[in-house]
Amino acid sequence: MSPMDRRLITHANWGLVGLMALLFCIGLANLYSASGIRMGEGLEVSSYYQKQMLWGCLGLGGMIFCTLFDYRHLKSLATPAYIFSLVLLVLVLAIGKSAKGAARWLQFGGFSIQPSEIAKISVMLIAAKFLSGNKDSLDWPAFFMVLLLGLVPAGLIFKQPDLGTCLIVLLLLGGMILYQGVKPYIFKTCCVLIPLALPFAWHFLQPYQRQRLLTFFDPTIAPLSTSYHINQSHIAIGSGQVWGKGFLEGTQNQLRFLPEKHTDFAIAVFGEEWGFVGCVFLLTLFCCFLLSLLTTARDAKDRFGSILVAGVFFYFFWQILINMGMTMGLMPVVGIPLPFISYGGTATIVNFCLLGLVLNVSMRRFVFKTH
Amino acid sequence: MRKVQFEPKGFHAPRSGLYLLYGCIVFLFLLFLLRFWYLQVLRGEDYARQALENRLRLERVYSARGLILDAHGALLAENRAAYCLALIRDDCPDIPGTLAQVSQWTGIPLEQLTAKYTQDRRNVQSFEPHILVSDIPFDALIRIEMKLPYWPGLSIVTRQRRHYPHGPLFSHILGYVAEANEQELTNDPELALGDIVGKQGLELRLEQDLRGSKGLQELEVDARGRQLSCDVKTLPHAGSNITLTIDAAMQQAASDALGDEAGTIVVMEPETGRLVALLTKPAFDNNAFAARLTHEEWDLLRNDPRHPLLNRSIQSVYPPGSVWKLMMAGLIMSENISPQETVFCGGAVKLGNRTFRCWRGGGHGRVDLQRSLVESCDVYYYQMAERIGIDKLAAYARQCGFGSLTGIGLPHEQKGLVPNRAWRRSRGETWQKGETLNVSIGQGSTLVTPLQMAVFVSALLNEGKIMKPQLLAATEPEIRDTLPMTVEQREFIVTAMRHTVEAPAGTAKRLRRRDAVMGGKTGTAQVVKIGDVRLKTHQLDYEHRDHAWIASWGEKNGKRYVVIVMVEHGGGGSAAGGPVAKKMYESLFGPEEIPAAPVRQAIAAPAEGRNNG
Repeated sequence: MSPMDRRLITHANWGLVGLMALLFCIGLANLYSASGIRMGEGLEVSSYYQKQMLWGCLGLGGMIFCTLFDYRHLKSLATPAYIFSLVLLVLVLAIGKSAKGAARWLQFGGFSIQPSEIAKISVMLIAAKFLSGNKDSLDWPAFFMVLLLGLVPAGLIFKQPDLGTCLIVLLLLGGMILYQGVKPYIFKTCCVLIPLALPFAWHFLQPYQRQRLLTFFDPTIAPLSTSYHINQSHIAIGSGQVWGKGFLEGTQNQLRFLPEKHTDFAIAVFGEEWGFVGCVFLLTLFCCFLLSLLTTARDAKDRFGSILVAGVFFYFFWQILINMGMTMGLMPVVGIPLPFISYGGTATIVNFCLLGLVLNVSMRRFVFKTH
Repeated sequence: MRKVQFEPKGFHAPRSGLYLLYGCIVFLFLLFLLRFWYLQVLRGEDYARQALENRLRLERVYSARGLILDAHGALLAENRAAYCLALIRDDCPDIPGTLAQVSQWTGIPLEQLTAKYTQDRRNVQSFEPHILVSDIPFDALIRIEMKLPYWPGLSIVTRQRRHYPHGPLFSHILGYVAEANEQELTNDPELALGDIVGKQGLELRLEQDLRGSKGLQELEVDARGRQLSCDVKTLPHAGSNITLTIDAAMQQAASDALGDEAGTIVVMEPETGRLVALLTKPAFDNNAFAARLTHEEWDLLRNDPRHPLLNRSIQSVYPPGSVWKLMMAGLIMSENISPQETVFCGGAVKLGNRTFRCWRGGGHGRVDLQRSLVESCDVYYYQMAERIGIDKLAAYARQCGFGSLTGIGLPHEQKGLVPNRAWRRSRGETWQKGETLNVSIGQGSTLVTPLQMAVFVSALLNEGKIMKPQLLAATEPEIRDTLPMTVEQREFIVTAMRHTVEAPAGTAKRLRRRDAVMGGKTGTAQVVKIGDVRLKTHQLDYEHRDHAWIASWGEKNGKRYVVIVMVEHGGGGSAAGGPVAKKMYESLFGPEEIPAAPVRQAIAAPAEGRNNG
């Protein structure tokens, strides 16, 4: 191993790796509990947590891969990746595998991919590349340009329809723009226009997609009413009280009153079993995790890296906010998983790969020369 | 050795951007800290309670409603399986859509279904099956069941439906059952929506015995309603089976005897007060109620001019006509007036400027008490009543059980009316002397139920004991009161009844049969005042025709029965009531057989020698 490699390794953000590992393990344990269905006396555990472990291993591989090259090469890769993801999004609309009316998947031989997940990364890259070209706050032309870059894939994802991912793409982009900074007059205009546009957008969805917005978070699940989900989720989390019912002891979880407990409502399972203490611990972990991303963004050696990490920051921030907000009745139900805690193959791999990029940025935060 | 030289950093992350990120983290932390605190600490206990309820559902276990049997064990009321379509709100994603589909399947208008659903939903827990449609026909059931998997929340549940094999024959005794209404549901916490309860007749009166008690079981279920375990907390107890004193064959015979007439037949065992038959016509089919009557059907029944819903034996009150004279005879004797004292009947008697006629225009000549009963002379009673007065008359009639409930134990029994001065006063009127004469022959305002008459005649035969009429085989005979008569007075009246059958001029001679001892008294209760010319029955409009009464008893081989027949607007008691009663006795005693030695001579009645008819 060359000294440079060793230096790269020592410079990596190991705190972030540790937090990530801890969160992933909590997610696995929670999944173990969520997928256990009480049958008579014993616990019969379905294979969700085992599968998640597999996804984790694949993700780890992806993460290591993402650290091997200098992230600055991604600048040149951003545009082709963006175009590639747009093509995939168009393809999925045309020939995608339809699951109850929602075309989200593309079948490639034995496995299927979700183009919207790739689109998230490609938007992050193209935005980072574009924004890093501006030394100062964005003016109108630059603002519109970057907005357009995000709106095209977001519109295509919306058409699938996958409202959750569409929202994440737009919010992620918004966060990155704000991180870079915009001219005060753009900020002020947006502050006025966006709240005005929201009711119009809501109206625009009516009546067919409005209904979708509320009930369409995962079409594969039996269509029980959304209020039922939220209510059950409240009961599960609330009944954990201060200390929780203990691992594998959650009655709501074990008795299947929780819908989609292994995916979007995973936090409800956790809240029931670990109580307020466990939830605050998890919340603190998430905040430390975000803080760790923040330090990487702060310490990055160039603008592209910093904005890229900020993109990753917002990617996780919005998912945590929306998922937990939805599960606890602070937001309408949108199908967005909780990073590391919810089950999901593509999401896990993407999460790990993005963290690989963050590590890449942190490893190469110093400019050094060899004599 | 290679040296590494660090270059000064050329890039500084945007400060406002970093503050934004810090702000995001703080916001996230505070928001969810507060939210977790609210859900888990502040409201934790409430949610913990809900969680417990969520997991364990208490479910009722339905018990079978008690059967009703006749005296010989024939089924009069039984239970059949009814399939109902039920909705569990918790499992149903789209209630209006589901209701619309149910409406389409069953043909029930959506507005009606929705209205009923909205009204009932307060009474059903969200996880309990809410019965939308009861008793679905089999072909519709198959159609619905096939499509059920596509409609989460809908399920088919089995409930029991009451069935009455004899239908109208017992409808007035048994009454009927129907779904508990909102009032019954609020008054009785044991009832759940869709439960059937007795609404009328014995079904109503014996509701608590017949219903039994529902069991409770604790089901551990998952969100899809799948049962994980079941723990029976309370066992259901089936309702008690009830055996009646009524003989279904006799009830049928009574129905055949009455034919298409409106009226009632009461057959009672005088010693015990047990009812062998209690028939009212016209009747309704009580099965129609169990199968959910439509509004049109209900209106049709309620507004039927022949009033099929009325239980005439206990609810309809009629003037008793001459049957009343049986009671009057007791009164006259208890006033120390000798039965041998005669009154001259010239066909009418004058009181003030009013003329009170005897039914026989030509008059009966000199009439004593016995002849007045046998030939039913009105003038005798006019004169006696004038002497005794209404106060004593009314008091005596009440002592004989008239004007009060018999205590049969069926709902809505009527008391009838024994008019007196106090009653008149309560209506703001004064008693007219002429009224006393009308009351003396069972006319005017006098009203009795056929069952009261049966109880009275039974008491005459049963040592003066006024028995409580019994419908239930399990209850012991119960003496309610005693007639205010001596043994001699009772025997005099009973013997007079025998002569009414046996004497050539007797009004009840149609009852005569050579193999049994028979007694009777006819009555013709006027609906309208007799004019100067008494019209024949067929000349009158139906609703103006007289009510025909016959109060009778018969004894054969040691078995005695009291039979009361009342034919509404039937005309003369003898002509209309006699043949009906005769047929009834043919069923009770079998067809008339000619005995080798006449029964009449075997039993020597004390008054026989004095019979001049």
